[in-house]
Amino acid sequence: MIEVEALAKHFGAVQAVRDVSFRAPDGAITALLGPNGAGKTTTLRMIATLVVPTHGKASVDGIDCVADPVAVRARVGVLSDARGLYARLTARENIRYYGELRGMDGAAIAASIERLAGLLELTSLLDRRTDGFSQGERMKVAIARTLVHDPPNVMLDEPTNGLDVMTTRNLREVIRRLREAGKCVLFSSHVMQEVSALCDEIVIVAKGSVVAHGTAEMLLAQSGRANLEDAFVHLSGEGMAA
Amino acid sequence: MRSPLAVVYFKELRDALRDRRTAMMVFVASIVTGPLTLILMAQFISGLEEKAAILKVRMAGAEHAPALVNFFQRNDVDIEAAPADYEKKIREGRLDAVIVVPEDFDERYIAGDTARLEIVYDDSRADSSPAIRQAERLLRAFNRESGTLRLVARGVSPDLVEPVKVEHVNTATPRQKGAFMLFLIPMFAILSPLLGGMTLAIDSTAGERERGSLEPLLSTPIARGSLVAGKWLAAWTFASTVATLTLTGFVVAAMLYAQKKIAATLTFGWPELAQFVAITVPFAAMTAALQMLICTYGRSYREAQTYVSYLATVASFVPVIVLFSGLKDATWQLAVPVLAQQMVLSRVLRGDVLSLADYLLPSAVAFALAALCVASVARLLQQERIVFGRA
Repeated sequence: MIEVEALAKHFGAVQAVRDVSFRAPDGAITALLGPNGAGKTTTLRMIATLVVPTHGKASVDGIDCVADPVAVRARVGVLSDARGLYARLTARENIRYYGELRGMDGAAIAASIERLAGLLELTSLLDRRTDGFSQGERMKVAIARTLVHDPPNVMLDEPTNGLDVMTTRNLREVIRRLREAGKCVLFSSHVMQEVSALCDEIVIVAKGSVVAHGTAEMLLAQSGRANLEDAFVHLSGEGMAA
Repeated sequence: MRSPLAVVYFKELRDALRDRRTAMMVFVASIVTGPLTLILMAQFISGLEEKAAILKVRMAGAEHAPALVNFFQRNDVDIEAAPADYEKKIREGRLDAVIVVPEDFDERYIAGDTARLEIVYDDSRADSSPAIRQAERLLRAFNRESGTLRLVARGVSPDLVEPVKVEHVNTATPRQKGAFMLFLIPMFAILSPLLGGMTLAIDSTAGERERGSLEPLLSTPIARGSLVAGKWLAAWTFASTVATLTLTGFVVAAMLYAQKKIAATLTFGWPELAQFVAITVPFAAMTAALQMLICTYGRSYREAQTYVSYLATVASFVPVIVLFSGLKDATWQLAVPVLAQQMVLSRVLRGDVLSLADYLLPSAVAFALAALCVASVARLLQQERIVFGRA
């Protein structure tokens, strides 16, 4: 479970995040929806303990992100905005490195890689170096790396960026399975359809603040629009004006 | 289960070795450096010695100076007639020095007048100076002999004109001459760890950020200290390996020359190698850490590369400055990195016996600086502007 309360972050004079509060429960998919530059990535980085908030607090499973960052990192798997792989290592070696960094033993890592490779349709690629991989293939390896330790909380920053339809569908399936397994899934996106197809809860962020929060139906009702895309434009536009 | 530090260490080593072309180039270059340098230097030096060793003069107009020719013959000096276009050849560097005898030489010499001779040379060419000096020395000896004979003929003691008799006693042993010549080996011992640790230091800091793998890496629970220490140990391993290979190359090359005349000036064998490695490996710990620290500030791989090459330039200046400033060995130098290594290593080559402090002090300073750099990198990785590259 991820909880965020009145989170704010300034970089000098730039206010990347002004006021973000939400709660992402276990066994549900929560989306941070907003246009580019809304502060989604910075919010996820604060939860991932890589950026210290200027105000407010974030916690994962009740653990404060500033007070005990190492415990938080252990309970989260993050697919960050930056998702580079080691090009000279094989896919398996890339994933294994993260398993080892998280203190898993060899057998547990091997079992985890087998399971994830099956889930992500990655098996045939495992022992190839990643430098020749397509964007979709790289993304699969990065997701496997994120999930190798079977974290109870998963954060994905714009996971479908640059992926083709097949890979996107495959990824959606993986995310649904995470929900079925009782994980807390938080992902950010600026793509409406993706969010509506997948998410239980939507948090609309614009200009660093939460402008609306709820299920897709609630947001439709709140905005008085017929479809979610109009609702998004309307609601995030309110944020812009504010 | 391995410790996080070991996990990082082995991953970095594997990653670096996978870059076959770079790794091969670095290793091969370091093995070849020693032999190539020594062979070139040995050729140059033995060339100088040969030029001076054979007593030979070139003369133009030898027939006008029978007395001088007689003197040369008595002293086993070969006389070679200079070609007609000797001035041109000297200018082109194909002749070193020519003694030119004017037509009236013999006439004036026999009459007891001052007879004039010319030595024609081009002193802008360093490699002809032994031949020039030799010609001068021979003519001075001829002068002294003729003068002495004239004084004796007039019943004057020749000692009158020579109140001080100068005798040359060169105290430099062949080994010490070699150390002067081999000031280059300490320089390579200082530069090779910089070369060896460079790729890994850049790749594991600025490179890690540039390829977008730093942020995911920092999202794992590994302690920043272990992460940086593992990377540093990998860079140190590479730096030490390259330094050891380079120095071994020098030993092998020196041994290939063992049969030759210059062997005495090239005393760099296994015992010296062991001493060099004992001094260079701790030094490599420092250079690897320092490279990582400055690369962490590099906003891109390329920028980091530029910083690292500045570091190598600065380090390579130190031995040259020592050579030209005539800095005398002093204890305080043991505490100054690079200067300390340069001093201690050249003392090894001179055959001096090193004290324990000569080993421990430079290495202690190197390790302390390495620890400081590693701690600084670990602290920098907590900073948002470093991790995400903000200005």
